[in-house]
Amino acid sequence: MFLHFFFSFIATAAFGVLFQAPKRTLAMCGLVGAIGWCIYKYLGTNLEYSSFYANFAATVALSVFAELFARVAKEPATIFIATGVIPLVPGLGLYKGMNMIIGSNYDQGVTILITAATDSMAIALGVMMVASILRVLHVRKLKKLI
Amino acid sequence: MNNCCSGLQSLTREQVMNLALAVGKLLLKNGAETSRVEDSMTRLCYHFGIYDLNVFVTPTVIIFGDETSEGKSLVCRIRTRSVNLTVLSKINNFTYNLCSWSQGYEATMDYLNTMLEEKPPYNKWLLCFASAVSSACFAQVLGGNDHDFVAAFITGGVAMVVLKLLGGYRPSAFWENVLAGAAIGATALGCCAMSRQCTMEAITVGALMPFLPGLAFTNGLRDYMAGDLISGNCRVSEAVMFALSITIGLAGVLVMWWHWGWQLWR
Repeated sequence: MFLHFFFSFIATAAFGVLFQAPKRTLAMCGLVGAIGWCIYKYLGTNLEYSSFYANFAATVALSVFAELFARVAKEPATIFIATGVIPLVPGLGLYKGMNMIIGSNYDQGVTILITAATDSMAIALGVMMVASILRVLHVRKLKKLI
Repeated sequence: MNNCCSGLQSLTREQVMNLALAVGKLLLKNGAETSRVEDSMTRLCYHFGIYDLNVFVTPTVIIFGDETSEGKSLVCRIRTRSVNLTVLSKINNFTYNLCSWSQGYEATMDYLNTMLEEKPPYNKWLLCFASAVSSACFAQVLGGNDHDFVAAFITGGVAMVVLKLLGGYRPSAFWENVLAGAAIGATALGCCAMSRQCTMEAITVGALMPFLPGLAFTNGLRDYMAGDLISGNCRVSEAVMFALSITIGLAGVLVMWWHWGWQLWR
């Protein structure tokens, strides 16, 4: 698990460079990605959750941390979420599904593609849920001040 | 309302529209989600007390204008998009600190226009190195051994170098991905020929990571959920097309190898 944490940290930070993130946020990007990947890995392999729930839980945890770092570093949360989600995002599923379909294994290909679609739906749900809950809290705080 | 002491006071309606369009163009060119672009532009207009402007943004166009027939409207076509989070962060600072912004209209437009041509903070060789590092780490995370780590490092780096060298010819996105896939396939085959402990799957899986459109796909689904149906369609179909093109590139090289190269090798 430590190796997973270490390698996903470096991989996500390198993705921060690919996405031209500001230099001082790279370490935080890596941390967000590593947290998401470790939770996904733990839930998926150790506790044997289905990949939808594992992705969802990992994304929720990751976006909470991303919003936290965004408040600390005074940067938009998109920076941390766009890079942190990278290890979870099912790009590989898209590739494998397309590969199967090109090799005319339609059944397996479509299965993999649909799994990829539901996984990314879980990720999108997680990101949007945290963002909208925070927005509601923010609006309530503003109303109290007024 | 603009009731705070700011450098940007008493702008005319046209000036506000120009400012908002410049901000939207920067955001969209540098990889922001469409809902975010619309949100920033309308918020900028609200700040200057203009409430009747409509914005419609898809990944390729910004349409911006009002509902009356006398009003002006602006259209901006976006042809190339890349991801540059530094610009997003700068624009975010700008729109949130409008109240304490000290420069006037001309200086602000200059600031935004220079940002459009500004070089990104990392040069292309550093990008190639980052691609190599992330490929290697993903190969390790997704179940490769030490040989795969080195091989994926080489493969990811070579693919990005090929892409950057060919970038001067301005290939379309489809060909760009086909070439990247082909470069990955060829280099991975070379590495497998060098060392017996390399596994083809782990190398390609790691090296493909920087090129796969997983993030675009997820952003497309996010657009669907936020109600931006057209941009959701655009992004999802773009992602599927990219996945298809990179697979065609990779599979083409592998098929050629199995048909002809294998016999030559023996």
